[in-house]
Amino acid sequence: MLTFEQVSLSFGEGIGVAELDLAVAEGEIVALVGLNGAGKTTLMRLAVGMLRPDSGTVRVLGHALRELPSARWCGVGALVEVPLAYPELTVRENLRIACLLRGSDPRCVERALDDWRLGPVADRRFRRLSLGNRQRTGLASVLQHDPQLIVLDEPSNALDPSSVLVLRDQLTKRAAEGAAVVVSSHHLDEVARIADRIVLLNAGRLIGELDPTGRDLERTFFDRIHDDDTSRAAECEQTS
Amino acid sequence: MNRTSAMNAVFRVEVRKLVRSPVGVIASVALVGGTLVLLGGITAALASGNPDLVAKLGPAATRDWAGLLSSAAQVTAAGGLLGCGVVLAWLFGREFADGTITGLFALPVSRGRIALGKLAVYAVWVVGLSLLLTLGLLGLGALLGYGGPTGGAWAALGRQLLLGVLTGAVATPIAWVATVTRSLLAGVGCAIGLVVVSQVAVLAGAGAWLPLAGPALWAMSHGTEVTAWQLALVPAFAVAFTVLACSSWTRLRLNR
Repeated sequence: MLTFEQVSLSFGEGIGVAELDLAVAEGEIVALVGLNGAGKTTLMRLAVGMLRPDSGTVRVLGHALRELPSARWCGVGALVEVPLAYPELTVRENLRIACLLRGSDPRCVERALDDWRLGPVADRRFRRLSLGNRQRTGLASVLQHDPQLIVLDEPSNALDPSSVLVLRDQLTKRAAEGAAVVVSSHHLDEVARIADRIVLLNAGRLIGELDPTGRDLERTFFDRIHDDDTSRAAECEQTS
Repeated sequence: MNRTSAMNAVFRVEVRKLVRSPVGVIASVALVGGTLVLLGGITAALASGNPDLVAKLGPAATRDWAGLLSSAAQVTAAGGLLGCGVVLAWLFGREFADGTITGLFALPVSRGRIALGKLAVYAVWVVGLSLLLTLGLLGLGALLGYGGPTGGAWAALGRQLLLGVLTGAVATPIAWVATVTRSLLAGVGCAIGLVVVSQVAVLAGAGAWLPLAGPALWAMSHGTEVTAWQLALVPAFAVAFTVLACSSWTRLRLNR
């Protein structure tokens, strides 16, 4: 559903991501974890075409991004950084425009309002919402059309515990129905509850995986990051 | 989702955004209501016999249809370009300012088509506004007691209608500038720049060949100082910048 084949992208001020190989299959939830600046958002941006790799190929729903027919994007739901929600429109109107732009069944809007418990604020303008309700609106707008591929960057940001439960239910439900899900997060405990795989990203490279059922995930995570930083530093010393 | 339904969807979304935004509402009121109020004020000042104002207005300093419509053309040429420019800068630049541009990726509607939809909504808004202003001028003339328009006044009203539309058309570079710079403020700056360039071109005597100044010169000279060929440069200019803006949206990458 989503594959990265030897994908590299560098920015002027330093490396973005290097030689990424990653595949996310149908029905699978993959969590990307890493420190700030590790390249999680860059990877997400590459997945939805916001960035073009310097080398390598990104495939979405079986097509290389350049060859993906526009219509196939209706099977994708992506929330990377800012949701497609306009401050002058109400929550309901924002969900409607997301629905219109994807050509999906307009009835999904009322269902999404219900699923995400947005009924009480449905007719409130987006600019007047709390951060948590904004995030819920954004998530509802990208998941309401039941996408086959879901790409979410830090989806639990600003969510209260009950909204996190809704998010978890929605993602596991979509995965059970065959959707491929990629989420990035800082919250290891949270992603461990839903992820089939936890992929570690450090300094723009995939450095391995964590077992979601493993114990003391945070300690293991920091040890792996530390080991990677140490080995890279040693390599740098050798080359210089 | 085929091309027609995609365009239809984009058009409906952009209409809703423009209608619900303060920018769209304020610009519409300012361009129609503000122009009419300003013209009413100028007429009232003329009635007081202020010699400075009479000198400044030149051929427009008469209290009849010709004077009213000549003043309207002057106000539309400068104020219209600025007002249309602000709306166009907002239509394109707000996606970058609000960060919503990220949500316009991964959609079955291409970004080039979204840009075209924005320009289509803008075009409809400009035509509607120009029509409203022309009707408003008819009403204002009647209110000021100028009687029914004569043959010459009808022709001037027709030129006023077309001037409004062409003024909107020459603002299209703003869509491209707001996209390339990814900045709403740069779009507004471009609008101010276009007004300055058009004024300088008129003073330098090159206005007829410059699409930015041609329509105003044409309307104010009763169609005598600008040929049909020179006026035809305006749609060509607008189409060229429409293609540039849509192409920039199609190739857009968020690498900065």
